[in-house]
Amino acid sequence: MNASGIKLGLGLYTMLFIVFLYGPLAVLAILSFQTGPEGGPQFPIIEWSTYWYKHLFGLTPPSRIAPLPIEQALIRSLTLAVMTMIVSTVLGVTAAQAFRKKFRGSGVVFYLIVLGMMVPGVLVGLGMALVANTLGVDRHWWGTAFVLHVVYTFPFAFLVMLAIFNRFDPSVEEAAWSLGVTPTRTFRKITFPLIFPGVLSAMLFAFTLSYDEFSRTLFASGRDLTLPLAIYGTFSVEVHPNVFAFGVLTTLFSFALLGTYAVLMGLSVRRARRMAIQEDT
Amino acid sequence: MTMVATSDDTPVETAAPSTRRQPDRTALLLAPGVLWMLLFLVAPILMMVYVSFWTQTTFKIEPTLTLKSWVTFFSSDTYLGALWTTIRIWLIVLASTLLVGYPAALFVGLFVKNKTLSTALLVLCVIPFWTSFLIRVLAWRPMLGKEGAINMILMKIGVITQPIEVLLFSELSVIIGMTQIYCVFMVGPIAFMLGRIDPSVIEAAQDLGASFWRIFRTIILPLSMPGVVVGAIFVSVMVLGEFATSAALSGRKVNLLGNIIVTQVGSLKWAFAAVAGVVLTVLMGAVVAALLRVVDLKKEL
Repeated sequence: MNASGIKLGLGLYTMLFIVFLYGPLAVLAILSFQTGPEGGPQFPIIEWSTYWYKHLFGLTPPSRIAPLPIEQALIRSLTLAVMTMIVSTVLGVTAAQAFRKKFRGSGVVFYLIVLGMMVPGVLVGLGMALVANTLGVDRHWWGTAFVLHVVYTFPFAFLVMLAIFNRFDPSVEEAAWSLGVTPTRTFRKITFPLIFPGVLSAMLFAFTLSYDEFSRTLFASGRDLTLPLAIYGTFSVEVHPNVFAFGVLTTLFSFALLGTYAVLMGLSVRRARRMAIQEDT
Repeated sequence: MTMVATSDDTPVETAAPSTRRQPDRTALLLAPGVLWMLLFLVAPILMMVYVSFWTQTTFKIEPTLTLKSWVTFFSSDTYLGALWTTIRIWLIVLASTLLVGYPAALFVGLFVKNKTLSTALLVLCVIPFWTSFLIRVLAWRPMLGKEGAINMILMKIGVITQPIEVLLFSELSVIIGMTQIYCVFMVGPIAFMLGRIDPSVIEAAQDLGASFWRIFRTIILPLSMPGVVVGAIFVSVMVLGEFATSAALSGRKVNLLGNIIVTQVGSLKWAFAAVAGVVLTVLMGAVVAALLRVVDLKKEL
């Protein structure tokens, strides 16, 4: 078998594949440095400048291109993401905690929860809009949209926690119980520190998914825009490089988030190791 | 280890009551999550089915049951066209994500023996997901446009003399965009399944003189099928529920069922939107059920 030839071919293909994944983003990033306000969202770059970044923050003289309505939208998106993160992580931890014991109907409950991440946003969003419309409830990003965000992110938190609990040694908890420690205190002192890395991952998932989510938000939020909705609004009109500049900034923000997560994770792993050493001596 | 609460709880918490109390505790832990899902996931979907039978007038909707919206949907060329477009785009994107993703998964999952390298490659595939979905869709505009990067490069190297206009604002651009966005969901599960193949099986086949093509057909492909099915389920559910990519890249030329729902909700035609939603739900359910028929996932994973 000419395995090395095939391997070389597939390796080259994989490189092309990665170019395919990154190419558009690279082009977008390059074009965000187009000069403004006359430079359009296409090549060639007339002159390199940070005009569109300044434009985002309202630091440029007014021109015919309206600035993106990001300031309020950013605050709303961040608030919504934090709310979603807290609620879905709590729900995820409690539900996964219940799944550590075998119980009747666990299959049904499992599928019910996982359904939340499978059902497309259009359908839940539409359903929620119909419910709100029938009940006469106003749709808001902090109300109807928020509950749908949790429906979407809670299954992720649940699955992460389920995976963590699967590798979790219950004998430490049993030891605490047999020493007469109350369940609440056991959870706080023993269980929670052990599952903390999982909780952190669940929080990261919930936050970023909610921060990016837009199809549910489109149907279920009212007039006030969140960040993704502000971007979606530009789809129907002419696109200017300010959207590209915004794309670069929000990507950097995501990476900062990922970096924070990595640091916290590293700290918690190191702490766990130090505790293990202390116990050994 | 700290010793606390020795006096209060110990006498009561003997083995017998705690086992009897267990079901209650489980129910208590499950209640919030289950309730949330029933209220905000199941109820809205049921509501959608219910509203699809309501009476729609120009500005109002009344809870009088009727089949009128359904009849309108299935006798209108626009709606049936959208259904057909949705199915066509879904099939094309499913095939293209598989074709584009499988070789990459084959390399990452089977040919890269170094664990660190294969993890690094997978991470490299996942990193773009940290950019907003909408930005990734939008990034195709400067790529595919008449003055876009692809046309520019092709003209520079002299392959074409006129820019290809069909690249952007057409069905093709929607398919290209969706393929790029969703192919990673195909690569992941397939690479995972390929990584679990016992290398000695392939070595044995090699020793017996099987060609690569034959090994691929009789060993690698069948063993990777669960991965293909899982990837296909991910891609199908996401593509069928799509409306943003077609809104951004087709210039309103491609109308999927998702786009129909968005416009109908925009013009307060709730009943029609609900009908389109139910049709989409049924279609999705049928697709997932059919895919699960192909491979028994519970047995394979």
